[in-house]
Formats: sequence, structure tokens, C-alpha cells
Amino acid sequence: MAWRLYALDLPWQEAEEALLRGSEPEAFHLLEEPWEARTAPPQSWPEPLYFLDGRERAEALISDGERLALLGCVAAGTVVWEGGRMRLLPPVVRRVGVGLEKPLAVGELAYEPVPAVGEGLEGLQEGLRQARAGLERALAKELVEGLLVVDGPVRAVREGPVLGYIKTHWARYLPKEEEALLRALAPGERTPAFRVRRKGMELASWYLRLPLSPEGVRPPESGLLRVETLLSGDFLGLADLSLGLFPALASHPVKDPRAPQNLLPVGGLERELARRMGSREVVARMLARHLGR
Amino acid sequence: MERIGVVLGSREATPLEFWVGVEGEGLLRLDDLVVVEGYHPKVGQVRYFGMVDHVAKAHEGQNFDTDTFLAVEGKIPVSLAYVAHVSVTRILPEEFFPPDPGSPVYLAQGGDLELALYYEAMRNQRGSTKLPAGLLKNGEVAYLNLEFLNGVKGGHVNISGISGVAAKTSYATFLLKSLLESGVLEDAHQAKVLLFNVKGEDLFFLDKTNARLTEEARKEYARLGLPATPFGSVAFLAPPKKEGYLPDVDTRLEGVRAYHWDLVQFAQRGLLPFLFADKGALTNLGFLVVHVAEKLRRLAERQKGPALLVEDWPGEDLPDGITFDGLGRVRLQSFAELVRYLEFKLLGPESGEGEGDRGWTARQARGTLEAFVRRLRASVENVGHLLRGDRPGNPPDPLKGEQVHVVDLAKLHPQAQMFVVGALLKDLFERKERGQYRGRVFIVLDELNKYAPRDEESPIKDVLLDIAERGRSLGVILIGAQQTASEVERRVVGNAAIRVVGRLDAAEAERPEYRHLPASFRQRALILPQGSVILSQPEIPVPLLVRFPFPAWATKREEVLEDNSAEALRRELF
Repeated sequence: MAWRLYALDLPWQEAEEALLRGSEPEAFHLLEEPWEARTAPPQSWPEPLYFLDGRERAEALISDGERLALLGCVAAGTVVWEGGRMRLLPPVVRRVGVGLEKPLAVGELAYEPVPAVGEGLEGLQEGLRQARAGLERALAKELVEGLLVVDGPVRAVREGPVLGYIKTHWARYLPKEEEALLRALAPGERTPAFRVRRKGMELASWYLRLPLSPEGVRPPESGLLRVETLLSGDFLGLADLSLGLFPALASHPVKDPRAPQNLLPVGGLERELARRMGSREVVARMLARHLGR
Repeated sequence: MERIGVVLGSREATPLEFWVGVEGEGLLRLDDLVVVEGYHPKVGQVRYFGMVDHVAKAHEGQNFDTDTFLAVEGKIPVSLAYVAHVSVTRILPEEFFPPDPGSPVYLAQGGDLELALYYEAMRNQRGSTKLPAGLLKNGEVAYLNLEFLNGVKGGHVNISGISGVAAKTSYATFLLKSLLESGVLEDAHQAKVLLFNVKGEDLFFLDKTNARLTEEARKEYARLGLPATPFGSVAFLAPPKKEGYLPDVDTRLEGVRAYHWDLVQFAQRGLLPFLFADKGALTNLGFLVVHVAEKLRRLAERQKGPALLVEDWPGEDLPDGITFDGLGRVRLQSFAELVRYLEFKLLGPESGEGEGDRGWTARQARGTLEAFVRRLRASVENVGHLLRGDRPGNPPDPLKGEQVHVVDLAKLHPQAQMFVVGALLKDLFERKERGQYRGRVFIVLDELNKYAPRDEESPIKDVLLDIAERGRSLGVILIGAQQTASEVERRVVGNAAIRVVGRLDAAEAERPEYRHLPASFRQRALILPQGSVILSQPEIPVPLLVRFPFPAWATKREEVLEDNSAEALRRELF
């Protein structure tokens, strides 16, 4: 039986942070002494400075009577800071069908098959996420030299230095006592670095406070950003550099609901990626027309 | 063909207007002409020609104006959009379906440009009727169709613009140069021009080379196919000074003739109404004016002039200094004396409550008669030097002699200006009507708002209306100008096939008289530089912004190129 449209909308959950199981606070290991707020003099940014981000979008759930497959679109792109300007590098956009065995053409749209990761709907969704991550990895591989900043945790080892930043803080990394410092951080200050172990990777991590105007209206945690990098590199130098980098690129709450943690260049990149993925409505209509109901 | 961009799909593309996205290093400016090719299987290929009337750049996708600051600081990536709006001037073949978004857009050059501006249609059986009318932004020659200027399909030119910077007179003279010397007007050698000089003495050096003419301007003339020379055959006429017979001019000392009418000409040609150029012309007074003019005409029959001889003015009422001819008739030697005579005829002898001559008063009430005399008396000071009985009259005759006649009005009282313009135009139009001259006559008149005001009636307005409405078939073409077209009689402006707009006042530009211009042109009319005008003509659906070269003729004394050759000196001395 041919593939038929099962649902255009599917229950969706924000699960980015869920895959980080966070290292246990018990294994807390300080990399810098003492545990107090730190500042650093401003430094010039390394060039080229890359910001890499990806996006995924589930477009439809289809069924051939026996199995389900998830059609979606994944995109990844890079913004590079060079010579005082932010420039967009050509992004990559791909349509994938999670759980398909053969490519599927729906009108002008072509979906490549990718495997599901796990069972059921969640497995399909995870497969879509993996496809996105794969795209990001492929892009990151092409970026030699310079400093790479990725949205989300550091997932891969790379030749040059890499900074990952985490915008929301569901997982806890600090023991209760040390957490008090997070509330005391002023904008432009950071905690000392501490060690994080995840999936066999040794990482150095620290929290920093972004400016969130007007100051004093929101709880101090709302401007927090957790940054991590590979333990093997010059993590202390990068930690000091991050104090001049992230606050300068923090977005403004008037313009971005995810301010200040959603960085300005990444916000621009995400808009651009969304644009290249095509209009959700137009795609949905095409799918409905060709796959029927 | 130079590809410049594509038709945009984010905004509506229609057969009459569409938007263009400019790509890469492409440059598209206002007034640039573009061509787009469209295709539909049922009609085949269609070409859209158009003119850019709006260009814009913007950071697309940015919701906040302040995002620009972030872009300048290098904090966000931006995408710069460069778009242009195109008004379609022509579709070939005429299949009005829209162009496809994404269709390539090319700059229209050479043959495409001619198609876009209908130049190839500007011809008749005898050849091209493309009259050079200035230069386009891209340096190509802008043409207007002579047939819309010389009366074949249309006639008359109307020029609007504020004083000083709009260069109304300069453009009018440039157009005359093109008419007379481009060779497009077939019987140019027969054409006559009557130019009224209304302010300063700008037009009094039309026959002198301009010393400030640059090499660049010469090249522009060459590109237009016009000689960079002053006008060859010009007569300069100025009113006489109030005392004596010398022309009343300040800057030009040689070659200017004084003009005036003698009293017999005044009476025979029925010029009296032109002294009453106000609202009163429609009341009883108007009737009286016509009646007295007719009486004067009969009185002057078979008289030779310059003085007007009258028989019925009894001696006791005569002022001092009056002379008699051999038959004892009173010789009226000045306009003041004529007024005294009319006063006697209408109101009776000064002494006593006498009545006037019934043949002259036309049964009008004494109040009307007195008003008539009062006005006439008031005009003595204004026109006394133009209407004389002591010398044979030599009013300007634009149909004889030199090709161009410049008639000075600048120093005259408004009443005298009205009189001169009215008298000359009436005479000229009547002679053309009777077929007394075959060639075309071009009349250049500034300040139309004074001569043909929208809300008032006057004998001059009647003449101008006559010219505007019937002139083109008689070969009388009016090149009129005014600061504000909104104050000029609609029918005078409306009959002009060619409309020219120079720099406009902001409030004026919004008036309905300028609705023939698209909004972007009205906006640009506020900032037009000197030497540029907006030209509208019937055949081309969009106006053209044209630049015209610096005058090759002097426009003031300082600009006159001194001719110190032996030949010139000899002419001056002997």
C-alpha cells in the first residue's frame, strides 16, 4: 500500500536538553579555585569566528497501513564573523523521511530515507534530530581554523577550539552550596570552571551572566548561560574570552522572546534557515494534495 | 543586453507595473528603462518595456529598525535587498498578461530604448518627426513627437515651475532652437517666433554667443544634433522711454528698436478693449467699450495718421497746444488728447452740466460714462508713451523681417503689458486667420496666469483661448509658461499637448493640474536641479526627466562673448 498522510501536526516536545543526562552534582570537580565570581579584561575576538546552528521541523506523519514514517526538514548553517561583519555562509537544507526505506517524492519535494532511532513516535522524532545533528557535524567538519561556537552542548571533537552554550538549565551541575553563586553573578561575570563528563567526553564548563535589561526586574537566573568546551584545550583562556563574547552578542528581550541567551547572529541564522526550509503552510498543502487524506 | 535582475515574486507583478530585484553589482536608477521578456504558450513571446520610477534598498527580514545598528556592529547577518518599481510603457505585442516572477530583466538600450519610448512610431510619410527635446539621464537623446507640437496631431506647450530655478524661459528657448535648427520641422525657414520678454532683459542677447559655454555643453549640442550657436535672425523691440523715442533698455545698447502704435492704428485696429483688461469688461462698461471702439474705427477710416483728426471739437473747450490741419480739423497728437476728446464726446463740455454726444454715449447712464472716462484717464500715464500721435507708429510685426521677434514688456506697467500682448496677439491671430502668412508662428509667453487667469474674464484671455483652441489648426502655436498652472484657465493648459514641469513648490505639486505626473515625479519636481525638466507628451505614457544643455546664447550682458575681430570693429565704427 502506498504512503498516505496520517497527520500533519504531531505532538511535539522540546527535548533538546533531555538527552543531556547532566553529570551528577556529586561528581562535581572544580577546575579553578576559589569558588567566586570572576571577570576578565575584554579581548579581541579570534578570526574567523563561526556560529553554527541547525533546525529541524516535522512536516507530516505518514502511514502505509503498517508502519509510520515522519517527513521532516532539517537545515544547518553557519554565520562567520570576519573583518567586522557577520556573513552568512551557504546553508544546507535537506528533506528527510524518518523510517522510510526508499526516497519519496511528493510533488516537488524529495524526501531522503533516514533510519529511526528507537521505537514509536519518539524514535522517529529522535531520528529527525539525529539527521539534523548529522548535518551540523558535516558542516562543522568543513570549518577549519578559528573558533567555533555551537548552539547546544559540545557533541564532537574538532581540530580547533569549540564553545558550546546551553540556554536553558534543566539539568543541575552544581551542588546546592555552590549554586548560591549563580544568583550572585553580575552581568559580565562568570563562575570558575568545573568539570563535566558526558558520553565519554571530558568537558570544562562555567556559567556566565548575560545583561538583561532592565536590570533587576527578572530573577538573576534568567540571564544565565552555561558554556562548555573540551577539557583538553586552553579552557581557561576560552572562559575569559567568553566574557567578552557572549554578553556582547546577547539579544534584547524586546526583539527575541528567548533573550538574552539566544545570541544575535544565531537568531539571524535561525530566521534565515526557517526561510530556506520553505513555508510550513505551503509544504503542508503540497503534502495534503499529493498524499491525500 | 545587460541583465540587471529579475521580476520579483514577493510583490504582485502585473502587465502595467512590477517590481524588479536588482542582482549582484547591478545598478538601476530612477528613469532607467528596462525590458522583460515574458512567454505564454498561447500567445508566444511578449516583451514588456518600462521605466523605473521607484528604487529602494532595505535589510530584508529585519523586523526592527534598530537591527541595522546590530548589522553595522557586525553582530547579525543581514540580507540587503535592492528593488525597483517599473511602470510599463509598452507591451509588444499587446497581450496584457503579467510577466512571470523570476523573469530576467535587462537594461533597455539602443533599439529597445527606442521601442520603450515609442521613438520608432514618431514618423510620418515624409520621415522622422523626432524633435530633440533634451538628454536622458543615461546620456541618450530624449525626443518628442513634432506632430504633437506643430499642430498636426496636437499643439501648444505648457511649462510650469517656480521662478528663478525652474528655467522656464531657458527651456522654451532651447525648444525653439531645436524647432528652428534641428531640421525636423520641415518649413523651419518660414516659421516665425514671437517672444515676450517679461522680466529683466534675459532674452536680449539671443543673438550673442555665450562666453560661458563649456566644451562639454558643446558636445551635448552635438549629440542633440543642434549647432551650439546663438539665434541667427532676431529683432529686438522695446517700448520707448516715457520721454522721447529711444528704446527703454539698460543692458543692450545697440540693435534695439522702439515700438509704439500711432493713434490712427489704435483706432483702426480696434485696440481700445485691451486697455480694459479687468472684470468690468462684462458689464455695461464692456458694452460701452465695444461701442466707443467702433466709433473710433469709423472716425479713423481713410486717415493716414499718425495724428487722429477730428472735426467736431468746438474751440472753446480745447486745451492749450492743440494744432489744426489745413481744413481746420483738430489734430490729436497724443493719447492724453484723445482721452480729452473722448471725455468731451461722452460727458459734454467741461463747463456746465452738458450732455455728451448721443451717437457716442450709446444711451449709457452717466455713471457708466464717468467710470469709462475715469479708467481711460488713469491709463494715460501707463500707456501714453505707447500710443502716440506725433510719429508714425511702428508696432512689432512678428510676421515680417527677422525670424524671431523679442518684444520687451519688462518695464511696462501691467496695464500696458496687457495692452501690448493683447494687441499683438489679436493682430497676429487675425492675420493668420485670413491666411496672410503661410508659415507657422510660435508664441512664447510667460506669466500666463496674468493673461489668462482662471477666474477672471478679459479680452486678452479671449484671444489666448482662441489661440489655444483654434490656433493649432491655423499654425499658431502657443508656448506658454507660468509659475502655477492651477491659476491659469483650464482650457489654455488643457489644450497643450506637451507639458513641461520644472521645479515646483510643494503645495503646488499636489494640485490636480499635475496629476498627469505619477506620484514619484511630483515628488521629484520639488528637488529638480536647474537645467532639468519633466516632459510629458501624449504618446509616451510616462513622463521623461530630461536635461537640456546650457544656453549657447548669452542670457545677460556679462555672458556675451566679446567679438574683437577686425570685421566686428569695422562694423561697429562705420
